[in-house]
Parts: sequence; structure tokens; C-alpha cells
Amino acid sequence: MKITADTFWDLFYKVGSIALFVLLWQLGCLAGILPKTFVASPVTIVETLWQYLNDGSLYKHASVSLLRAFYGFILAALVAIPLGFMLGGWFKNFERVFNPLLVFLGQFNPFALFSVFLLLFGIGEFSKVAMIFWVSIWPILLNATLGVKSVDPSLIKLARSMGMGKPGLLAKIVIPSSAAFLFNGLRMAAGTAFFMLIPAEMMGASRGLGWLIINAQINYQIPKLYAGTAVIVVFGILIDKFFRYLEKITVTWKEAQAI
Amino acid sequence: MARLDRAAGWRPRRLAEKYWLLALGLAAWELSGALGLTDPAFVPSLSQTLSATRELWERAFLFNHVMVSLTRVLIGLIMALAVAVPFGYALGRAFPAAAEALGPLLRVFGLINPYCLFPLFVVFFGSGETPKIAVLAWVSLWPIFFSTLTGVRNVDPVLLDTGRSMGAGKLTSFLRIVLPAAAPQVFSGLRIGVGMSFFILIAAEMTGATAGLGWIIHSAGALYQVPRIYGAGLCVVALGVGLNRFLVFLQNGLFFWKESVDPLLGAERPSQGGKRISSLKIALALAAFLLVLAVGVHEIILAEVRLNDPTAIPEYRVWSR
Repeated sequence: MKITADTFWDLFYKVGSIALFVLLWQLGCLAGILPKTFVASPVTIVETLWQYLNDGSLYKHASVSLLRAFYGFILAALVAIPLGFMLGGWFKNFERVFNPLLVFLGQFNPFALFSVFLLLFGIGEFSKVAMIFWVSIWPILLNATLGVKSVDPSLIKLARSMGMGKPGLLAKIVIPSSAAFLFNGLRMAAGTAFFMLIPAEMMGASRGLGWLIINAQINYQIPKLYAGTAVIVVFGILIDKFFRYLEKITVTWKEAQAI
Repeated sequence: MARLDRAAGWRPRRLAEKYWLLALGLAAWELSGALGLTDPAFVPSLSQTLSATRELWERAFLFNHVMVSLTRVLIGLIMALAVAVPFGYALGRAFPAAAEALGPLLRVFGLINPYCLFPLFVVFFGSGETPKIAVLAWVSLWPIFFSTLTGVRNVDPVLLDTGRSMGAGKLTSFLRIVLPAAAPQVFSGLRIGVGMSFFILIAAEMTGATAGLGWIIHSAGALYQVPRIYGAGLCVVALGVGLNRFLVFLQNGLFFWKESVDPLLGAERPSQGGKRISSLKIALALAAFLLVLAVGVHEIILAEVRLNDPTAIPEYRVWSR
């Protein structure tokens, strides 16, 4: 690739501000403007991360967190996608009746439920997975329903007049044309799952990234606190990027929805 | 009645159609408790929950805790608005190059899990009200900022050109065209911000507070007072849904020229436009807003005193120490 002025400016616009921010942060720490007792410098954060990476504790906590988010998310997807398709496609009247209730349930504050989940499912892994399941099911369900409802009816009529059966209709028309909605819902759900996981781990867990940073705060280990926060931020961004990328390479026939 | 009929949501038939399932669910909840299908140690029935709420109201200052929670959200919101709206307008209109250069950094900030900042803010600001309000301000800051930016950027250029050809100066075109054209977007961002900060608030109150709805739930859980968990949870749900309804009502009234927003879906309802809100209603809403703020600040200051009140439920007094 030839490096021209354009690619330089492109790169500058993409990472320039972030690099500048990190640089200023580091310089501020070195110059002593940012007090060491409150702010860890980027170099210290990287050193701490390297140390935790080497002794395996970062891997342990991150894998616990990611697995919790993953299980809750997958369970939610397995329940919500078929349910959404059914509500949007086959039982339209049913959906009209059910939708207000579903949206209402989706507006429930998950933390009001967390204590209830603790009561019902105990303090083990299941209560956390149940909470993640609860928060990720609503975006997927709503988007799956919307996606199926938004399928162009003339496409369905056309396919039917060409003698296409129900399985073919589902595979060739309904799923492709609602895929953009589905991916949008999945991306929102994955984001929310990771988002809600951290406070859930702060409140009742003995492992995981949320526990790592609340523990660092209690013990006043500033570098550890910043390092844990940095890992969470990076994971959050990676999850978002991953789903956007997945959508881009699979749903090539539809323009990306800007939300 | 004609006025009520125009707001389609108020028609009894539509109301029944929308909510009969909810009513059925509540009835099933009550019945399963009464018939002994659910274990009251884990799932108290609706009437038990409601009586727990009443008990909390009478003997644990539920009203005051609700006010404390609401005020935290409002103060965070005001701070976020004060920063995000001017910056959004400035970056979108006056310095588009700066907006483009800063964009990635700001997007990263917006994607930061707000909850993982909470321990950081505790380290910065100590353990009082400040870290909670800072987290809430941070949470509502980004949706408001990004929607302001989008709103300002997407102002119809034809409108601006028309204004210019009619001799409107920069200031006039900003005040008369850009400001109102982007306002609905700003309000949508505000609505998202309020929703998210209410989510986060309960969690923040559960981990470190001595007042607020989240604290009531947390302390009831720690004392294994199951009906009180449900009672306070019911309040949280009602407050969250009520707040959303109120904002949707304001949005539809203030931006009556836009398509109206459905209170349940949060999506735009096609067909009908909203009805203009009267200035009396705006004044009333503002007055209510200020009243909540004043009462809430008062309650935050009083929270410690209340906990020592001898008429309060004893466990709550013990828990606070």
C-alpha cells in the first residue's frame, strides 16, 4: 500500500485523538499534574496488565465474566429469536396483545430484580446468568418481532405464488430480510449483557472483572483499579465492533442501519 | 371528551386492548399466592407486596427515598445537559473539523461501561453524593451529546439557505432554525439518558448509599425481608415507567410538528402528529420539576437524620449504622 497524505489523514482522524489523549494523560502523570494517589499513568496500567496477564489472574477473571455474559446471551438468543419470529409472523393478533406486556417487562429495572434473582436462584452462577438472560432477551425479542413484521408482503406473495413452502419461505425470505433487525437486536443485547454484568459482579460475586475492580477500590489498589477498568472498556468496545463486523460480512444485501 | 379522544391512547377500548394482559398477569400473581401455588417465602402475592409497600411508606420513609432517588437523577441530568448540549451544538455547527477529529475519542468515552467508572469516581470524590451524581451525569452525557450532534448536523440545508436568502444573519439562523430543528433529537437523547441513569442509579444506590430506592431494596435483601424487596421493586418499576411516560408526553407536546412517539415502544408512531402542549402545562411541568428538586435536596440532607427517627422500622435504623 502506498502511503499518501490521504491515508495519513485518515489514520489521524481515526486514532489521532485517542493517541493524543493517552499521550497527554501520560505526560500529566509524569509532570505530576495528575496526583499519583488518584490517577495511574497509561504506562503503569500496561505494566500492571502485563503482570496480571503473566500470573494468569487476568485470564481467570476475564474468562469467568465473559462466560457468564456468553451463557446469558446465548440462552436469551435461543429463546428470543424463535419467540420473536412466532410473535411477528404466525400469531399476529397474539403479538398485538402481548407486545405491551413485553415492552413493559423490558422496561423493568434489572437491579430491582437482582435481589429477587438472588433469592430464587441462590448466590451461585445461575443468578448472574439469569440476570444477563433477563436483560438481553428484550432487545432480541423486540427486534426479531419488528424484523419479521417488516418483511415486504409482496415478496411473500411472490414466493408463495411460485409454490414455495413454509420452510423455504422462512429460510429464503423471512430470515434474510429480517437479518438486519436481528443483528441490531443481537448487538444491543450483547452490549447490554456486558454492561449489566459488571454491576452484578460487583454486588454479589467473588470472581470476575466487576469483582476485580470493586475489590481494587476497597483495597485502594489504584493501578489494579485502572487496569481492570481498561480491560472492561476494551472488551465492551470489542464486543460492539465484533457484532458490527459480523453484520457487515453477513448482511451484505442490506444497507447498514445507523442506530 | 373530544380532547381526550384525540389522544388515541386514552380511548377505553384501546386502553383495554393494551392492558388487559397486564391486568391478567397481576390477577394471576395474586391468585397463585392465594391458592398456595407459590411459596410466600420467595414470591409474596400482590396484596402482600402492596401492604409491604404501604408499610415502607408509613414506617420507612418510602416517599423520602423516592425523592432522593429522583433528585439524584435530576441533578445528574442537569449537569449532563449543561455540558452536552452546548458542546454538541458547538462541535456540530461551529467546529465540524474538530468534531471529526475528536469523534473516535468521544465514541470510546461513550462506549465505556459507566458502571466500571463508579469505583474510580468513589476514589476521586469520596463516598458521599458526588460519585453517584457524577456517574449519573456521565451516563446521560453521551446519549444527549451524540443525539445533539446528529440533530445539529442533520438540519435541512434548504431551511438554512432559505433563511439566508431572506437575510437572516448567523445568530438569527442559529436561534430560529438550527436550535428548534435539532431540539427533538436532543430530547430523544435526553429520554435515553434518563432511562439509562435510572437503571444505573438503582445499582449505585445498592452498593454504597444510606438513602434511595436502591438502598431500600438492598437492605431489605440483606435482612431477608422478601415482601419489602418486592414492594420497593414495584416502586422502582412504577417510577421508571412513569418517568418514561412523562418524558414521552412532554416530547409529543413540545415537538408537536414531529411524528408522535409511542410511550410503550419508544418508536415513532406513524400516522398521527402530536398535539401542541399549552404553556400552562409547560409551566406546571417545570414547577413540578423544581419542586421535586427542592424536596429531594432537602431529603438528601435529612437522610441521616431520618434514619435515627425512633418511629422508623428498627432494622432500618440498625442497618444504617
